[in-house]
Amino acid sequence: MIRTSNLVKTFAGTRGEVRALRGVSFEVAKGQLFTLLGPSGCGKTTTLRCIAGLEQPLAGEILVNDRPVFSSSRGLFIPPEQRRMGMVFQSYAIWPHMTVFENVAYPLASQLRRKELKHRVEQILERLGLASLADRLAPNLSGGQQQRVALARALVAEPQVLLLDEPLSNLDAKLREQMRFELKSLHDAMKITTVYVTHDQEEALAISDRIGLMHEGALLEVGSPAELYLYPAHKATADFLGSANFVPAEVRQSGNRPGDEMLVESRIGSFVARRSVEWQPGMPALLFFRPEYVNLAESLDQNANGTNRGTAIVERITFLGNSVDVVVRCGEIALRARAHPTRAPVGGKSVYFTVDPSSCIVFPA
Amino acid sequence: MARAGPKNFGLMFKVRDHLKVEPGTLNLKSWLCSLQTSLNRFSVRSLVFGSTLLVVSYLVIVPLFMLLYASVRSTEDKLPFEATATTVANYVVVFSNPSTLSILLNTIGFTLGSLSVGLPLAILFAWLLERTAIPARGWLSSFVLVPMAIPSLLSAIAWIQLLDSRNGLVNVALRAVLGLKGDTGPFDVYSLFGMCFVQGLRLVPSAYLMIAASFRAMDPSLEEQSAMAGRGVAQTTLRVTLPIMRPALLAALIYFIIVVIESFDIPGLLGFTARVRVLSTAIYWATHSEVGLPDYGLASALGVIVLAVALILMWIYHRLTAHQERFATITGKGYRPRQIHLRGWRIPAVVLCALYVFIAVILPFLMLLWTSVQPFYSVPSMESLGRASFDGYRNIWHDGSVVRALWNTTLLGSVTAVATLVLAILVSWFVVRGRREGGALASYLATVSFLPQGIPSIVIGLALIFVYIRFPIPIYGTLWIIALAMTTRYLAFSSRATTSALIQIHGELEEASQMAGAPWLRTLRRITVPLLAPAMINVFFWVAVHAIQELSMALMLYSPDSVVVSTVIWSMWQNGKTADAAVLGVLLSVLSALLLVAGQAIAYFRRSSY
Repeated sequence: MIRTSNLVKTFAGTRGEVRALRGVSFEVAKGQLFTLLGPSGCGKTTTLRCIAGLEQPLAGEILVNDRPVFSSSRGLFIPPEQRRMGMVFQSYAIWPHMTVFENVAYPLASQLRRKELKHRVEQILERLGLASLADRLAPNLSGGQQQRVALARALVAEPQVLLLDEPLSNLDAKLREQMRFELKSLHDAMKITTVYVTHDQEEALAISDRIGLMHEGALLEVGSPAELYLYPAHKATADFLGSANFVPAEVRQSGNRPGDEMLVESRIGSFVARRSVEWQPGMPALLFFRPEYVNLAESLDQNANGTNRGTAIVERITFLGNSVDVVVRCGEIALRARAHPTRAPVGGKSVYFTVDPSSCIVFPA
Repeated sequence: MARAGPKNFGLMFKVRDHLKVEPGTLNLKSWLCSLQTSLNRFSVRSLVFGSTLLVVSYLVIVPLFMLLYASVRSTEDKLPFEATATTVANYVVVFSNPSTLSILLNTIGFTLGSLSVGLPLAILFAWLLERTAIPARGWLSSFVLVPMAIPSLLSAIAWIQLLDSRNGLVNVALRAVLGLKGDTGPFDVYSLFGMCFVQGLRLVPSAYLMIAASFRAMDPSLEEQSAMAGRGVAQTTLRVTLPIMRPALLAALIYFIIVVIESFDIPGLLGFTARVRVLSTAIYWATHSEVGLPDYGLASALGVIVLAVALILMWIYHRLTAHQERFATITGKGYRPRQIHLRGWRIPAVVLCALYVFIAVILPFLMLLWTSVQPFYSVPSMESLGRASFDGYRNIWHDGSVVRALWNTTLLGSVTAVATLVLAILVSWFVVRGRREGGALASYLATVSFLPQGIPSIVIGLALIFVYIRFPIPIYGTLWIIALAMTTRYLAFSSRATTSALIQIHGELEEASQMAGAPWLRTLRRITVPLLAPAMINVFFWVAVHAIQELSMALMLYSPDSVVVSTVIWSMWQNGKTADAAVLGVLLSVLSALLLVAGQAIAYFRRSSY
């Protein structure tokens, strides 16, 4: 289990201090894979390095399995070499002057007898499919192999916590996808509490038990991949994960409880949406829905009522392979939609669009 | 081997982010607690950091302070610390003496003359070997560096044999071939011209290394872009290559001005007879006067002047190289730039390089060899060939001081190289990675360790006399004081070489070791040092070769017990024992060459073992 509370970290920048972390708090349950996701410079790597002990926060507290490893109020700071965590760095940091075996054996040195050490190292090398490479030097390894060696080195001492700093970002697309599943199954088998840092939303959605979305040094929102993707609570989350349509709107009716339906009047017509926060009629708002929930059709279902629909002109069509990205124009608002590649609309033609109310979310403007 | 090109110096001065504790967020008790943890945590590391800081400050700051102090003491027939009066008399003497003006003019003339011989050759060779399709590139680029193996002291001696106005080999030959009348000329090595010529030839290898490095560091796509825009070779060279290279060339110019101002061996040997005194030799003769007591006051005043000049130049140089980083010249990509075809100029270019190698290496070394096998000096002829014998090489071992000098030199070379290397690694580690120690202290360490680059060797020698003649540590007159002087002097080059190597080692490699549970010292030993090995090999052999060849510091600080090879050669020469000096000179050159080859070989075999 990891718990951070109110982590604050500043760096001396060229123009005064930069607040890298502004009070980051979250909890990772035992055995969970928790991902810190966000654009570059959002503070996710800094948070990870604070957990590792490679950076010392200015204030806050970090607990690992209920034992504090850092606490500003108690003046406690356990150095990284005593925290017994495994870490995979973005650059892998495989020591080029050592063989694969020596790299992986390094965290065990001096605490084990030679025979047991050899056994432990061989075991983990076997597990990661590196057994045949034990005597190779690091510069003679491919990117994917280096990645595995880094992982083996992080896991060999059986740490309580595994930290992964953008471990897949240096691999090519195909290998990245493969390693993603391997990492996931490795985690499912070993059940090590893991903090995973990435800027790749697809990776985060695929691998995580829970995701913490970071933005400008703060943790915006924490939730399961599905929660964050389908029901984001913040505009920044909606914007960062997947693609988004935002339409300026005004609240007409608000439901009583969260989850109820509400009605907004937008620039492209009236929309029924899920209520997320407390709204007063007349408040300015931002209507959000994802392109893949926009249905395009040449004719309308006559029985449907008058909300969540409109007409638009097809402006641009981009073929993406597994789908077609369509931009339609409705007055001054351009909307993005996804269509099946074989059923793409024709450019310049007028189309009807509908959006399901359960996929519409309203944010404060 | 001797990489003179300073490229990453600016990085050393970048203020690093460091820990700051916001007032009010922590109370006193927790502050004390945090102090406690950091003390526990960094005990080894802070101990090492503190010692490094102290040692470097002591090596650099104390001598400078003593020099300044001595320069304002009245010293009539006394040592600086026996006198009590504080006075500006030394400076008055310096500035009112008409010979000071001639010393300054000589220094300027010597500097400009040497540079105008050495730099154009170095730039030409760097361009030919880096940018053109010259044949036998590999051989030529190694041969251009060979003059480094011959100590300046010995190239001066060899050139005296070659260019002595009366019986120098070249002059005798030219008179015979050209049918010139008289028994002197046409050249005279004992002149400002002779000094500039010999010094200029000596500058070529290190200047070549520095300039070739900047040629290599230049992004070739900048030139290719110009070619794509339809410009020819000449236009590209003039409008793209040279403007981009300008800061680097200017930096090299400033750097070698300092090198020439500091140089002692050649002006010391040639300038005495030629009656051409420059600042460095004037300091020496003020302390080693043939008549009367040494005038330390005058020497230190001169020392302060030359120090000020060198430090100002050093500062300009630093500004230039820091600025240089804005030109995006360094790429990690292994592109070879397009090579310019020389066409009809191929043969002349190779001949020019070969001619340089012949004049700068082969001719002087053969001359030295010739002198060493002759019982007394004579112009090479069939008759004198008959007198040739290797007796000199046998008899020299009977001279007790020679044996002592060889032993001392070996000791000096290894001790200085190891001490400098250890200090350089620690300095550069704290400069590059010492974030926890704080940005201000790291910048201080970077500055102070680089300062000796602007302290002429003769000045360090002089200053150390002042420090240790009265200092409780009884090392005055021992070999250790010479080792101390050289460690100080070579710290600048060494720490910068290890710093730029360390910058290229990704910090995550060390952090991975920390995460694996290794404490600071173990990380340093198991990860950092092995990864720094190539740079360490370079630094070790660079320092060792320089230390065994160095004359001026040794000459200021040696005693009969602590003679080294270079000082023995110097006194043999001064006493007219030309043949013995040549024998010892050949031995020293061979030793230097062996060290250089050993360094290259170790680097080569390490590379191929990966």
